[in-house]
Amino acid sequence: MERNNLLKYANLFSGYTELRLQENRTSRISIVDGTVMGNSSSSNSGVSARSYKGGSWGFASSPETDNEAIEHVIEAATENAVFLDSHLNKGLQQLPASSAEGTWDYSTKKAFVSRKDKIDFAREVDSYISQKFRKLSTRTVVIHNLDMEKQLITSTGSNAYSMVPRSIMYAMLTVDAPDGPVQLYEAIGGLGQFEDVFVKPSDCYRQIDSLYEHLLLKAEGVFPEPGISQCILDADLAGILAHEAIGHTTEADLVRGGSVAADYMDQTVASSLVTLVDFAHTAMGKTCPVPVHIDDEGTPAEDVTIIRDGVLKSYMHNRESAMEFGVTPTGNARGYSFSDEPIIRMRNTAFLPGTSSLQEMIESVDNGYYLVKSSNGQADSTSEFMFGVVLGYEIKNGKLGRALKDTTISGVAFDMLKTVTAISGEMSWNNAGMCGKKQMIPVGMGGPAIKCMVNIGGR
Amino acid sequence: MSGMNKVSKLYIEAVLESGIQKAQSSLLFTRKTELNAESGNISLLRTTEDVSLSLTGITEGRKGSISINKTDRNSIENSIAELVEMIDAGQADPANEIAEFQQSEEFSRGSEEPDMDLMYTRLNAFLQRSSSRYPNLLLEQVILDHTARYRFFNNSNGVDFTSMRGAYNLMVMFTSKDGSNTSSFNYAAVSFPDLSEELHTAGGLDRLMQQSTEQTETQMIEGSFVGDVIITPECLGGFVHTLTSYLGDHSLVTQVSIYKDMLGEVIADKRLSLHSRPVADELAGGYFFTSDGFKAGNSTIIDRGVLNTFLLSLYGSLKTGGSRAVNSGGNYMIDPGDTDFSEMVKSVKKGVLLCRFSGGNPSSSGEFSGVAKNSYYIEDGEIKYPVSETMIAGNLKDLLKSVKHISKQTVNDGNSVFPWITFGGVTVSGK
Repeated sequence: MERNNLLKYANLFSGYTELRLQENRTSRISIVDGTVMGNSSSSNSGVSARSYKGGSWGFASSPETDNEAIEHVIEAATENAVFLDSHLNKGLQQLPASSAEGTWDYSTKKAFVSRKDKIDFAREVDSYISQKFRKLSTRTVVIHNLDMEKQLITSTGSNAYSMVPRSIMYAMLTVDAPDGPVQLYEAIGGLGQFEDVFVKPSDCYRQIDSLYEHLLLKAEGVFPEPGISQCILDADLAGILAHEAIGHTTEADLVRGGSVAADYMDQTVASSLVTLVDFAHTAMGKTCPVPVHIDDEGTPAEDVTIIRDGVLKSYMHNRESAMEFGVTPTGNARGYSFSDEPIIRMRNTAFLPGTSSLQEMIESVDNGYYLVKSSNGQADSTSEFMFGVVLGYEIKNGKLGRALKDTTISGVAFDMLKTVTAISGEMSWNNAGMCGKKQMIPVGMGGPAIKCMVNIGGR
Repeated sequence: MSGMNKVSKLYIEAVLESGIQKAQSSLLFTRKTELNAESGNISLLRTTEDVSLSLTGITEGRKGSISINKTDRNSIENSIAELVEMIDAGQADPANEIAEFQQSEEFSRGSEEPDMDLMYTRLNAFLQRSSSRYPNLLLEQVILDHTARYRFFNNSNGVDFTSMRGAYNLMVMFTSKDGSNTSSFNYAAVSFPDLSEELHTAGGLDRLMQQSTEQTETQMIEGSFVGDVIITPECLGGFVHTLTSYLGDHSLVTQVSIYKDMLGEVIADKRLSLHSRPVADELAGGYFFTSDGFKAGNSTIIDRGVLNTFLLSLYGSLKTGGSRAVNSGGNYMIDPGDTDFSEMVKSVKKGVLLCRFSGGNPSSSGEFSGVAKNSYYIEDGEIKYPVSETMIAGNLKDLLKSVKHISKQTVNDGNSVFPWITFGGVTVSGK
């Protein structure tokens, strides 16, 4: 994206206004059973402006980014805000006027890898899989890259540039079983461009080997006994629990919309072992999967401790909700595309590690389940959640037993978290998360393993 | 937009001039006017314009695709250069082809321009009616938009299609709250050609909102049982989506579809007929030609229980040797039955009225399980109470054959038309 001195347009602002230039670039290579089936790329760029007048918002965008287009979107956004304000006459005060400046560029400093070399990389991984794992009925390798590059100024004085890339390789393996095909996939990679994330194919082989071993066990899997059971949720499920079941209920716009968390502030909602944070950019000394330093309203992004030692302490805010709730904006407003207005989004949501070891936790369960990988998750204003579980094992007398067929788990998160009796000291991130809330957006989700009571589906 | 199909043809010429042997261009202009309401109050007016140009090239069976949202000369030249690099790096696959020549056609449906004042009036009336009629219902988010889409499709075999579709779209998300009791959220998404009707009359929206206010107090079902489930029109779409995912390119090319050998075979109860009708007059949504450049037609996927067609694209058909579908799926309709909804409830001994299903991604073997949301327990022919923490599990193959009743009534949400269907043999588990 060509850098533009946006400050020269600030004199066109009338009242609170944001002006954002953005380009999202994607690249996708997919190889199915050795054949390159997907070989595509895309670029989506443009300019948008959002203006606020007396409690009403106006937004406009254009794919063109020349002088005329930028002036036009500022004018159109302002007119849209004026149109609504003239009808609604809310008469609200001005928004909190925090500001920040900075440049955060996570692009590679290495020479770019050619398309041919990327395809060769994926083919080498595919070849490794096909030669080593003879029992597979089908295999798919996908490499997906997303670069999100933004420039932002606001009438409050914010001025920011960011380039946040993500590179993920998906390996999906399938074997035939008596009841039909059985699948399992792994997402490898995370923050960074291809050049930094994927150095050589063999770096991925350990995870693929492990995936295959799990798949063979799953092919002989059993249905779990339906009902409430003692479970250990590994990091992948803890992360989705953090994001879906608790995180969404504590986004301030959903709190206003009827989330059960509206009634729980400063109340005990979980075991005292539980602390849950939406990290802005850095967690425990390391850069998060989706670092956000300044949000798309120009607010400096801060960590939000949602639950501290079992007590609900904070919601996630944009400028408008912070004004309404009488708190400071937390920097959670983000838009996916240049043509999307910023809305309240999580960034990197995770439970903090505890002091137990995973092995000790498994040994402490007489009869239950160790749930390892999720496929998808949904939650509710009540905090009732459902997660698809695609990899799990029985625990019998403190030892792992048979693998499970695909199943789902559910529960009411604010009840379930009160049953937590152990949290492991090891923590890991799911780097491939996408959240859908009007717009799709990359998020990080993470956590340690959590021992708790969960309702597990089955037949 | 007049003349844009000529511009689209120029892109084909430019791609061919680069040495690429076969070319395809899909140009889309989108103009959206959108009113947003948060927490029951109108909050944002959003007007956006965007363009999307997708260029596909094939040389010696090697294929590449690139998509940009620019149409200036420099961007096109850069994209074609990148496309050449992608194709050079690709792998030959005889299934990489473009659509054969068809007669040029122009299609148009719906309004090009929004009636902004009427949009505001209708949305405002909807918010006021909701607030007065359902005081415990919180409208978390309401989005009313008018979207006009202009598509221009060309390829080097001479395909030349143009279409304009304009429609209004409404998305409503809501929760009810009574004291400290909170319902599950629910939502409705509806499309319509104009604003002649009040918004609450669209699809099943008003019924869902009314139900939400009953769902602040729920009960858990005791234990587990195998019983009947009446799936509502709003909930049925998710199951149809799962079913059709087994009929598409990926499932069939990789041979993992549970229906891969079932074409012409009975896969469902004989009362069940499923259609894909992207050019149906009664729908506000739909499309006139497929993304790979074929004029779209309506099709019957399941004809009185028999699997009548897969949903293979040109690529999928060449890859598998199967027949190309006459459309790309979507805009699904299930034929109504002969039973009144009230009679369907009366016929259930023990079961669930499943109004929303929060389920895991469907497994490759057809197994499904998930949580019954905004749903009701039925016993001895009566709807007893709204449920919470209730899970549903079954297998799609078995489900399709276990139809007990199909309702006379249907709901048209502008993109699909579904009835209520009673299925037997579903595992329901509470606490």
